[in-house]
Amino acid sequence: MRLRKLFTAAIAASALVAGMAIAPAYAATEVKMILWPGPEGEAMQKVVDAYNAGQGKKDGVVVKQVLLSRDNTFAKEAALMKAKSSEYDIYFTASYLVGQHAPYLSEIKGVNDKIYLKASIDGLKVNKKQMALPLDTSLHFMYYRTDLVSSLSSAANTAKYKQISKTVLGKELSPNTDPETWSWDDALATAAFFTQKYNPDSPTKYGYALPAKNLLYNTMIWNDVLWGLGGNWYKNGQPNLNTASGKAAIDIYRTIYTKELTSPESSQWEYAETNAALTSGNAMMALQWNAAYSELSKTGATSGKVGIAAPPGKGQRTHVHALAVGLNKYSKKQAAAQKWMKHLATVGAMKNYAAAGGVPSMPEILTTMVSTNASFANIITYAGKYGYSESAGAREFDIYAKLAEVLSPAWVGQKTADEVASAADAALKSLRK
Amino acid sequence: MIRQRKDKVSAFVLASPLLLFLSALVVWPIYLGIKTSLSRDLLSEFEITPAGLDNFKAILSTPDFWSALRFTILFAVVATLLEGLLGFLLALVFDRKFPGKRTLFSMVLVPIMIAPSLMAVMYRLILNENIGIIPGFLQKFGWDISIFDQKYVFFTLVCLDAIQYTSFAFLLVYAALQNIPQEIYESAAIDGARYRQVIARITIPILRPALAIIAMLRLIDSFRTFDTIYILTGGGPGTSTQTIGIYIYKTAFITGDFGMASAASVTLVLLLAPLMPWIIKQFRLDVK
Repeated sequence: MRLRKLFTAAIAASALVAGMAIAPAYAATEVKMILWPGPEGEAMQKVVDAYNAGQGKKDGVVVKQVLLSRDNTFAKEAALMKAKSSEYDIYFTASYLVGQHAPYLSEIKGVNDKIYLKASIDGLKVNKKQMALPLDTSLHFMYYRTDLVSSLSSAANTAKYKQISKTVLGKELSPNTDPETWSWDDALATAAFFTQKYNPDSPTKYGYALPAKNLLYNTMIWNDVLWGLGGNWYKNGQPNLNTASGKAAIDIYRTIYTKELTSPESSQWEYAETNAALTSGNAMMALQWNAAYSELSKTGATSGKVGIAAPPGKGQRTHVHALAVGLNKYSKKQAAAQKWMKHLATVGAMKNYAAAGGVPSMPEILTTMVSTNASFANIITYAGKYGYSESAGAREFDIYAKLAEVLSPAWVGQKTADEVASAADAALKSLRK
Repeated sequence: MIRQRKDKVSAFVLASPLLLFLSALVVWPIYLGIKTSLSRDLLSEFEITPAGLDNFKAILSTPDFWSALRFTILFAVVATLLEGLLGFLLALVFDRKFPGKRTLFSMVLVPIMIAPSLMAVMYRLILNENIGIIPGFLQKFGWDISIFDQKYVFFTLVCLDAIQYTSFAFLLVYAALQNIPQEIYESAAIDGARYRQVIARITIPILRPALAIIAMLRLIDSFRTFDTIYILTGGGPGTSTQTIGIYIYKTAFITGDFGMASAASVTLVLLLAPLMPWIIKQFRLDVK
């Protein structure tokens, strides 16, 4: 009896030891990845789930996505990076931030550049090294009400348009019903025409929705104006905003605000408020992010009546950036994280991402999905034709923020272009060091 | 003698967990903050190098730091005065019996229970000119107003702070009012004192310590204001609504300059610390 008990115990112990020895061979390595909540995080969760259920099992990797807050993801990551933390294996980054993040990221090798939009993949290189993998591509469209623009061609409206443009801009202009070819004068005159202050018959209260809050993402939109007028942050390495083009770009925003072509409240507007102004029927046009299309095309006053054009200007330009993921240099699971990144770089994974609502930086996928989102065609065209980024190095993110701080008082008429342009140049100079 | 020494030892042993806790959570971070303030510590640069007093020199010569400090002081003083006054008046109203008092009392306390960041997000929605319920309601009466117009933005921010924190002042004043003996009011009534005289000569002097505590707590709290203003205005246009908290946050987490941000924090402590004994003395809060 005693012998039988001993024998049973011995077998149980052996099984336990054997199990413990075998178990690690089958245990998957957990890779933790940061993203932000919203369409990107939701779409990525579908890709993560598919990977964990399929390819992840072959790779021996389980991916866990952690969504930080949308407003402060980068601030939290900054703290983690500075602490050289290994808590997360993959960081969320972007082309305007990768210069700042690069010291804490590992180079990603073996990426096939050709399957990505050039502006997106190139924007994630630091010193010619690929430091992150593109997810969504973001750029700007000039959104406008198609029903209102087409109404401009009537004789009565043409005469009124000429008179209003003379009053507001000091120039008698004729309506241009093709927003794709708008100069900023055309855009401003059209905005004035659809502002009730100048045209009480206008169906919209304001002609324009101006996101003029002191926010770095608003500088990205203003950059379209600057570049469209032939300006740039730097010229031959020297700050270049205290110039005719720099001041003209500031004055365009200033004119929109001080002539009341936009709401006085727009001094505190960003993405959401701009969308609200358009969908509520209070505003007629706005330079806005491509991501807004799905909401604008289906909601309120803009439903079925929203047109897309390139940002106005002589040499039209749109800011392009890519949201991305990069590999934490201090991750203790580099090999497993690389396997997941390799999967993310495949067309198959990005197809899942697009199907779940993401806007991957792969033209091949965007082309096939134009039927579900018409703006995808514009993304491909505009990114290739007008896409631009400053690539100002490690301090690019700071520059965007500083310019928003320095320029926003002029955007809303508190200061003149002359007053802020030299301060902007001084900021650019100090951040270029 | 031996007993006294034993008492000291046991006092030290009993206090040691708290002392260790304080060292870990207060002293150590302060040390790290000071150390960082003396370093060139940029997110975009991998190496941290000693910087001596360079960060402090830079902070003291940065107009943005001083403008943020000015705005913070102005905001804190105006918000504290308004909240103190409204809280006091509200407490006087609630110090009487009236139907529905209990329900109203609970309702008045609701704003203080909501996180400031959540309140700010809510304000962005309900005060938005295009989709907000309040501008929509006002428009029905012909009052077309842009609440976040830069002309009114300071007033708007102070009012929003008051909506959230008046209930705090109200609660403290109301609690203090309950401790005033009824006999004092009765004597005043017999002497023929009017309501205004009773408030000015009896209620306010008795409530002075409570009012002082409210003023101090609200001043400190308003000085730390960050989330509501950051979410609503981002500190702008320009730096016109930038509090010192927003300045430090942006310097650390957007500019990625932890050295400068720490130097700003240390400078702020050095500027404010000498005021504390004075505040304590003025409000007679020193413990005896």
